[in-house]
Amino acid sequence: MSDYENRPVPEGINISPSHPLKEFGLLVGGISAVLLTGVLLLALLAGHLVRYVPFAQEKALLSGVDIGWLKDDQNTAHQQKQRYLQALAERLATNMQLPPDMSFSLHYSPDATVNAMATLGGHIVVYQGLLDTLPSENALAMVLAHEMAHVRQRHPIVAVGRGFAVMLALSSLAGVGDGAMQQWVGNMGMLSMLSFSRAQEEDADAEALQTVQRTYGHVGDAAAFFEYIASRPQSLETPAIFNTHPDHAARIARIQQFAQAHPAAAGQTSQPLPPFMQSR
Amino acid sequence: MYDLIFFLVLLGCGYVFGQLAEKRHFRSIIAREAELQDLLCFSERTVPAAYSGDAALVCGSVVISIDYFKRFVAGLRNFIGGRVSSYESLLERARREAMLRMKEEARARGASSVWNVRLETASISKDNDQTIGAVEVVAYGTAVTPR
Repeated sequence: MSDYENRPVPEGINISPSHPLKEFGLLVGGISAVLLTGVLLLALLAGHLVRYVPFAQEKALLSGVDIGWLKDDQNTAHQQKQRYLQALAERLATNMQLPPDMSFSLHYSPDATVNAMATLGGHIVVYQGLLDTLPSENALAMVLAHEMAHVRQRHPIVAVGRGFAVMLALSSLAGVGDGAMQQWVGNMGMLSMLSFSRAQEEDADAEALQTVQRTYGHVGDAAAFFEYIASRPQSLETPAIFNTHPDHAARIARIQQFAQAHPAAAGQTSQPLPPFMQSR
Repeated sequence: MYDLIFFLVLLGCGYVFGQLAEKRHFRSIIAREAELQDLLCFSERTVPAAYSGDAALVCGSVVISIDYFKRFVAGLRNFIGGRVSSYESLLERARREAMLRMKEEARARGASSVWNVRLETASISKDNDQTIGAVEVVAYGTAVTPR
């Protein structure tokens, strides 16, 4: 009988000793870090490549997008304002080094939002809420030139290209359905206004200042809009433009620095906005 | 957002109940193994002459399901490879439980040893993601009752 025996088997020899939560943490952390790095790299790469998309192609991208202010307005007062904005933009455009195929389409929205924004295809919308805060045409020219500079530096398409690359990467990983993709493509015109970086804003400011300087010979009232924003009590609802345009104090300072370096000649004053641009 | 909350609740439930069940199961396994320690089991194909007696087939089978948490961790492990430790304890439990059930049957017959013991494993769900992830282990052997 002594030839055969069953010795007790020590516990735990068939199981890895790691705690399940520790393994969970390591796996989730490690895989998220790898994914995040990959997606970030992809976004950066897409941002670089998308600059080579021709501007005509960029215009065509927005053709199927349904945004209220992109449609033609039948209201004659609105059309008058739109024509004025378009004319001002074209005047500014002659003082920007634009590629030959680039053009701007200005839109007017009677909304009280204190904002103006540029999106794909050179479309720029100006809200009545913004016009009401501006003291002069020069101040409006600065805002317009800023948005036009975004378009000339291809910021909207870069933002959309990055967003598209991220969306594509994530949806191919997570298997998001076609519906989500279509919904996103439908919204991309709006998305593009959300994600300009601070560096892009600074570049746009610098180019806008140069443009206004070349157009009017001085940059009086260029900081008017930011000063208006800065003067608003903090308790008031934050204007939408705040989300994308941080650190307005530094921007006012940069504009004033530029103004000191390029003082207005005697007799150069700001031109008033035509009366029909006011809401009241 | 609701999807995420739902997922986290499932993950939490899976972890809590899975760990409780596993701890309780291991306690039970260790106690019953000690109880059945004197019933000998061997993988030898033939019964040695010194142990001969009345022979009978005995078997024990068990099906154990994976919990949501372990399944998720194993899914993550799929990305990078390595030891799927969340499945290791599952299979360990299934193996030992199947052996115990076989031994319990042998004890009920009054056997003193089991020979030619074999273990077989089957995955219940195979590659179908829609069904439960469960594993079956069958242990069988020849129980010998001394005359």
